[in-house]
Amino acid sequence: MPASANNQAPRALPLHWWVLVPIFTSLALPLAATLLYAISTRWGATLLPDGLTLEWLQRLWQTPRFLAAFGRSLIVVAGALLLSLVLILPVAFLAHTRFAWLERGMNTLVLMPFAVPPVVTSVGLLQLYAGGPLPLVGTPWILIFTYVSIALPFVYRTLINSLRGIEATELMEAAQLLGASPFVAFLRVVLPNLRLGIRIAVFLSLSFLIGEFVFANLLVGTRFETLQIYLFNVRRESGHFTSALVITLFTFILILTWLGNGKSEITDSKERSL
Amino acid sequence: MTSSSPASPTADASTSPYLRLRGVHKSYGDTPVLQSIDADIARGEFVTLLGPSGCGKSTLLRAIAGLTPMDAGDIEVAGETITHLPPQRRDIGMVFQHYALFPNMSVADNVAFGLKMRRVDAAERRERVEQALALVELDTHALKSPHQLSGGQRQRVALARALITRPRILLMDEPLSALDAKIRQHLREQLREIQRQLQLTTLFVTHDQEEAMMLSDRIFLMGEGHILQHGDAESLYTRPNSEAVVNFVGAYNRFDAEQASRLLGRDIEGQCFALRPEALYLVSEKSAPALPANPGPGCRGTIAARQLLGSIVRYRIECEGLSMNVDTLNRGVRSLMTRGSDVVVHADIDEARLL
Repeated sequence: MPASANNQAPRALPLHWWVLVPIFTSLALPLAATLLYAISTRWGATLLPDGLTLEWLQRLWQTPRFLAAFGRSLIVVAGALLLSLVLILPVAFLAHTRFAWLERGMNTLVLMPFAVPPVVTSVGLLQLYAGGPLPLVGTPWILIFTYVSIALPFVYRTLINSLRGIEATELMEAAQLLGASPFVAFLRVVLPNLRLGIRIAVFLSLSFLIGEFVFANLLVGTRFETLQIYLFNVRRESGHFTSALVITLFTFILILTWLGNGKSEITDSKERSL
Repeated sequence: MTSSSPASPTADASTSPYLRLRGVHKSYGDTPVLQSIDADIARGEFVTLLGPSGCGKSTLLRAIAGLTPMDAGDIEVAGETITHLPPQRRDIGMVFQHYALFPNMSVADNVAFGLKMRRVDAAERRERVEQALALVELDTHALKSPHQLSGGQRQRVALARALITRPRILLMDEPLSALDAKIRQHLREQLREIQRQLQLTTLFVTHDQEEAMMLSDRIFLMGEGHILQHGDAESLYTRPNSEAVVNFVGAYNRFDAEQASRLLGRDIEGQCFALRPEALYLVSEKSAPALPANPGPGCRGTIAARQLLGSIVRYRIECEGLSMNVDTLNRGVRSLMTRGSDVVVHADIDEARLL
């Protein structure tokens, strides 16, 4: 049907544009409006803003409280990701190359963060760590450990797929037969080839952990103000100001995602052709 | 078919064997994959493990490499038991079906890897990498990355990488199976040439009978975890010693005693009577080939089907209620017989195998 319609009216818009354009518009419109609001002087009774200004963005970047919150978010997220890599990389490697039972177990385990809603997890964590031998609630540590568990499925799955893609088992075998111990084989053959997988896992997790609010709010709240909590706390100050904040965060995540996927592949192919 | 049967490949090792397998056994759960394998392989010998998929040939190779732990048995190389050594200390080289080259290293670095692990100094390393790459005719590709090479070139890099440490034994797990026919043919010859030159004790796994016959000093035919028969290409092809071997080798016609009696016009005893398609002769209006010494009375039949295999024409003959394949040399269009033609089939009784 669409094909024949195309033939009869060659100048008509191809069918897929009728689907793509509304979807893209509906996704981009709120973002574009936020961006416009962030750089407008006043946008009240009229359809379009009165004038444009960078004042809001400048003011945001000169607010020490914002910069501190941004820094805290980065520290927590980076710590969580470092810890997840240190923990999950060996597990994924062993599950893939050595122990099939471990891989089966992990496949179930990585579904847990999806099965249990964040609010339920938070209540449980609050009960466990509010007092007792490990009073972690209110400290950045509990956030780091919780983020490790949320990032687990993404990091683990990405790494397992990557291990499968490079045929890690066979590479290990080849390296060992050439005289490498398993540890040396892992360091010199498997790890370098996992670079891309690790990068994707890290940047993917980074971009959604930095926007995390539920856990941050319930577990540490204002005692360790992260970016999302700061955004929540200043929501009543000025719409232009919060819009500037949202746009900044969005741009930051966009750059991270781009670094994680697109750019790494370009540099990789460059390295290879050298 | 235990180790004491005539199929045991230990019997004919006159000199002391270089690689010695004793009672190698392996099962996955309740399924036995290798059942008390005994084998002796001489120094410099090219031995092929041939068999259908799932016969245990790859598992045996991996057990020798130390990649698959075995349940029982012993492996000796040059008098030293290596059964409990980890793969990195066995001094055995291996070439994999899918190359297993290290994608993060250049061709030269791939080849140098084994020497680096043995802490050979840089100057000697460079020289030996050059030699190894020259041996596989890839010296101009040293700085390329593996993914820039074709399949055949990749496998040659893998070969150079395995050879450079001068391993005591070279294992090859279907190394040519992922390549296309023409490159496979060329690489086969190159491989055999290098093996001869270096006097390398080689174990080669394949499911391709033609490949096994072309390459090997000896073939070990494997089936269901046993070595069914071993010997050079000729003995394996012309003198199969069991029904299982007959089923795998060549395109044998198989008859029971009663069918064989009908075909030959005299009484035959035995379980299984096997006859290769080229040991049958067709006499018709169009062709009257020179018959074997003892052609028998012959058996009247008709041609049911014809397959042109290039230099060989394979006819399917229906004769006395029997159905059989007969191969004749393709001598041109005029000698080709058509479907439905009447023929007389003579069998070369001397070439028949009674099992």
